[in-house]
Amino acid sequence: MTDGPLIVQSDKTLLLDIDHPLSDECRRAIASFAELEKSPEHIHTYRLTPLGLWNARAAGHDAEQVVDILLKYSRFAVPHALLVDVAETMSRYGRLRLEAHPVHGLVLVSHDPAVLKEVTRGKKVAPMLGLQLDDETIVVHPGQRGFLKQALLKLGWPAEDFAGYVDGEHHEIDLVQDGWKIRKYQELAAEGFWHGGSGVVVLPCGAGKTIVGAAAMAHAKATTLILVTNTIAARQWRDELLKRTTLNEDEIGEYSGSKKEIRPVTIATYQVMTTRKQGVYAHLDLFDAIDWGLIIYDEVHLLPAPIFRFTADIQSRRRLGLTATLVREDGMEGEVFSLIGPKRFDVPWREIEAQGYIAPADCIEVRVDLTEAERLNYATAEPEDRYRFCSTTATKRKVAIALAKKHSAEQVLIIGQYIDQLDALSEELGVPLIKGDTPIKERERLFGLYRAGEIKCLVVSKVANFSIDLPDATIAIQVSGTFGSRQEEAQRLGRILRPKSDGRTARFYSIVARDTVDQDFAQNRQRFLAEQGYAYGIIDAEDILSANPD
Amino acid sequence: MSVNSFADELRARSDEAIAALFQVRPDLLSPVPTDLSALSARANSTPSLMRALESLNKFQLEVLTAICILNEPFSKAELLSITTADAGDELLRLWAAALVYKDGSKFRLPGNLRHLIGDEPAGLGPQSQKKIDFKSLKDIPTDSAAVLERLTWGPPRGQVVNIKSPGKAIGWLLENNYLMVMDSRTVVLPREVGMNLRGGKVLKEFTPFANKFIGTKRKQGDVDRAAIANISNFLRWCEELAHNWSDEPPIALRSGGIGIRDLKRSAHHLGVDENTLAFVAEILYLGGLIVVDTDDQILPTNSFDIWMSRSLEERWSSLVALWFETSRVSGLVGKSGEKNIAALGPELDRAGIASMRKVTLNILAQNLEQDPDIKNLQEIIAWQMPQRFNAEYIEWTLREAEWLGLTGQGALSEFGRALLNEEENLGVENALPKPVDHILIQADNSAIAPGPLTVELSNMIGTIADIESRGGASVYRFSESSIRRGLDHGQTGEQIKDFLKKTSKTPVPQPLEYLINDVAKRHGRLRVGSATSYLRCEDEGLITQILYDKKIEHLQFRKLAPQVLVCDFEAGDVINTLREAGYLPAGENMNGILISAPAIRRAKSRPRPPRVISEVQAPNEIVIKAAVRTLRTGEKASSHKPREVPRTTANETLDLLHQYIEEQASLTIGYADTNGGVSNRLIDPISISLGTLIARDHATGEMASFRIPRITGVSPAK
Repeated sequence: MTDGPLIVQSDKTLLLDIDHPLSDECRRAIASFAELEKSPEHIHTYRLTPLGLWNARAAGHDAEQVVDILLKYSRFAVPHALLVDVAETMSRYGRLRLEAHPVHGLVLVSHDPAVLKEVTRGKKVAPMLGLQLDDETIVVHPGQRGFLKQALLKLGWPAEDFAGYVDGEHHEIDLVQDGWKIRKYQELAAEGFWHGGSGVVVLPCGAGKTIVGAAAMAHAKATTLILVTNTIAARQWRDELLKRTTLNEDEIGEYSGSKKEIRPVTIATYQVMTTRKQGVYAHLDLFDAIDWGLIIYDEVHLLPAPIFRFTADIQSRRRLGLTATLVREDGMEGEVFSLIGPKRFDVPWREIEAQGYIAPADCIEVRVDLTEAERLNYATAEPEDRYRFCSTTATKRKVAIALAKKHSAEQVLIIGQYIDQLDALSEELGVPLIKGDTPIKERERLFGLYRAGEIKCLVVSKVANFSIDLPDATIAIQVSGTFGSRQEEAQRLGRILRPKSDGRTARFYSIVARDTVDQDFAQNRQRFLAEQGYAYGIIDAEDILSANPD
Repeated sequence: MSVNSFADELRARSDEAIAALFQVRPDLLSPVPTDLSALSARANSTPSLMRALESLNKFQLEVLTAICILNEPFSKAELLSITTADAGDELLRLWAAALVYKDGSKFRLPGNLRHLIGDEPAGLGPQSQKKIDFKSLKDIPTDSAAVLERLTWGPPRGQVVNIKSPGKAIGWLLENNYLMVMDSRTVVLPREVGMNLRGGKVLKEFTPFANKFIGTKRKQGDVDRAAIANISNFLRWCEELAHNWSDEPPIALRSGGIGIRDLKRSAHHLGVDENTLAFVAEILYLGGLIVVDTDDQILPTNSFDIWMSRSLEERWSSLVALWFETSRVSGLVGKSGEKNIAALGPELDRAGIASMRKVTLNILAQNLEQDPDIKNLQEIIAWQMPQRFNAEYIEWTLREAEWLGLTGQGALSEFGRALLNEEENLGVENALPKPVDHILIQADNSAIAPGPLTVELSNMIGTIADIESRGGASVYRFSESSIRRGLDHGQTGEQIKDFLKKTSKTPVPQPLEYLINDVAKRHGRLRVGSATSYLRCEDEGLITQILYDKKIEHLQFRKLAPQVLVCDFEAGDVINTLREAGYLPAGENMNGILISAPAIRRAKSRPRPPRVISEVQAPNEIVIKAAVRTLRTGEKASSHKPREVPRTTANETLDLLHQYIEEQASLTIGYADTNGGVSNRLIDPISISLGTLIARDHATGEMASFRIPRITGVSPAK
């Protein structure tokens, strides 16, 4: 029995004791094949999944290495069945290969005729395949590259894609490092992607995913299509690219609801791509408008399902996915793996934080006791209205205002879901509100002022969730959230996790009504953060209100 | 010396030889025979001979079969001439097992043994009555040669259409005595011809030795580590399953055993497949750790608690010992293609499985550090015990040995070896990870026990947290419902917090404390109890007076609120008692309205009048008319009734049936159905066996069986 830092559970979770002297070494060793599920303060949980193991195979690790690592660091004897299962799973990746054939185009190749036989029997797979050339080679119908990979993954035989990529139209792009320097991990991420061909880079919010994208473009030196979540994000991408690369304004186009520019580098929003006119996706032509050499997907975990379908069609183009998390609330991780590619680079949040790029954050839940009258109203409210009711109570508003006043000297963001509540807060505090119907120009103006420090406090609705850059927000106050979405919590925390100039600790307040569904949802969201290692503190609203007697 | 009897020969054997006989055939010892005649009778009895045959290996069986070809008494030289040189040693072993006995310098078989081997040993036919001139073989027509070739290696019988005109090929063979006639459609190859064609040897090939063992090399250290993981897994499964069934006991099926749904649910709970679960459940059942209770619930017994108090090594070895001996085969549970056999059910017993387990593990013990090739192992065992061999059982035995931790990575572990050698100290206790006495609590409300917990700790944590992941360590999660469960079990919020502070190596995170406080604060705020009647009064003074009144103390009033008392007596009794004590109570109904007079007493149960068994009442006109109509219709129908088959006695019936079967003639029988109604059937009788007549029924055109006692009469068909 060794006394290692790792405990291998029979349900395929790995528990890593991070207080153990070997934990760092072990963490590095297992990161390649196990997915970090949660990383609270003492024991981190990793999970062995087929996708994770195949990701490792894609990165060139073999089963023997994985088994060796498990045995080497394990504290207790490892169940033999689990090791057998690991080897068995890993051996499935790469048994099937997609290759380019000089005569027949795309072919599916396997040195194991039995596997080939098995998959060709699959109902979904069979129609995508054509003539069998010999025992080991079958022609794939043109245009089925992506769909075939998807179907094979579902059968448990993920295919390795060696069919190569088109270079796309050449376009000179380089990084301009004046006054800033690309960080080591960003460089590694871009290289990891480039050598893998296509795939996903996982970096936490604020770790500079845009720069990884720019570095990838500099590798490709080709026309690039960038898909982002919304218009604000699109403008930020443009600004960043102008600042960090040799690209000038004329070379970058925006393809959104308001503008339809197609330039060597085009930034399009998910929304415009999924807009339908009379049941037809109206803007699909964009994928063929230019001979793209690279397609970048920002925030892959939010990629809408229709885009997956388009992506299946463009498997010969290099694809880079950028995201903070591979967890998708809709469970479509397999699609990301087969259509965009395996994970190419990954750094846990805490590690980057330790390197000083992300500000450490204090997360505080403020628990509010509802008044008797409010409790009575809550109890008699219709079940579907309860959440709205308890998250917009007057008591909560009072607490939010008290908090905002307490931090009036700092940059404060108040985030919420319900517009009435936000209106009231904005009015009472006398600060501007940004919501869905605020014009983009006005939004940018307000963000500009906020960044400049001329406005100290902003109230924002959920439009602010994604991809806006508010570098100096040090305090975020969440008054209501979208039920229990873990994504959202991570995004919100991301808002204030951006590096602070003076290294101050950021603070994230979440105001929660005690003994209501609000508290249940809050618990779900917080569990996600606690699992990421951000321990929550809880304070009672009384303590804040008594400190601010008005 | 003339013919010697089996008993005399046994009598002549030395004491050592008799002792050796008991060694190889232990069943002869129980009970100890009174004398050697009794011993010889038992050794020649069919059950004992069957057992002896089952214990023979493939080569011994081959030799014994060859002996059956020979005429008694036979000499060793005769045996060797029809077998191989290795057969000589086996003859001695067969003699030691009293499966052959000596007659002077020659040998004989015990009388019953020939019957057990069969009429056509090794596929050779009966001896020919006629003289055969093998010289004519060289002139054999090609067709006839083909026939001989087909019959040479058995079975020796062949079918012909009509023996009167057998055709050229067979005709030639019959003429030259190379075939004999068995009956009107069957010919058989005589033994001498068979032996001649086989070149004088009984079998094409003899297999004096088993295959060589093939396996994959393992390191003993790795094997033991894997085995220890298996052992701790297995013990955890046992414990967990018993706990799970104590919380949610499955209900036994009416046909016995546990249903597939419960099996699946429990398998899911343990995170294992159904085969594993069936195995664990069976082992617990064997050990008496779980039982089907009188109300059909499957529950852990007191023995489980006793078992839990023993050391890990004792827990393990006690269960493994049961596995070695049991005749129950849990692998049969849920086997595809067979009717569903339930775990803990009555249909799992199979003969010979226990000896198969021993043989399997002995082979592993002879090949340490080897993970056997399953096919090869099956072949070896098929050679060692051809009569009992079952390939699936071997597979299951290996699978189960791995689950139990007797093996690790397929090879026999040090612990398994120690157990096979019946060593005192198996070394399991030392090899298992030491129980830990602390947990680590984290901010996401999970707790991790970085090793197996002591029994008390795991019981306590089990009540206040849900288990999330199992293995070497356990991961628990605290949630509102798990804390509530702890409070339901009688813990207080403070006790839970104290326990966690004491047990956790890390500080208890603030959110968890808040969670416990919040739940504890709400827990029990609503109280539910039962009372039969209440007493209310707006005068609190009077309420207090009644509460402390000695005269009505026996009513045992409890005060719920300043103006309300409750008690467990009926309202009527309470009113009467209070009146006797000088109070002036009044009853009230559900809405608080005063009932002026006490309610007349009524039973609470629903009316259940007894059944009326009265005189027959005169029927009304409609009934009578209908009855008459029925009678008339019945009358008309009976005039069209077919002729009833005359009744015959049982003996007559049998004789007649035999006669008709011989004549192959159709006949009509009267046949009583289960209700006693007799119907006529036109049939072609075919055969009679076990009190049943097999016949073709003309009505359906299909084969049917008729129970003879139900046949009321037989007559020729018209």
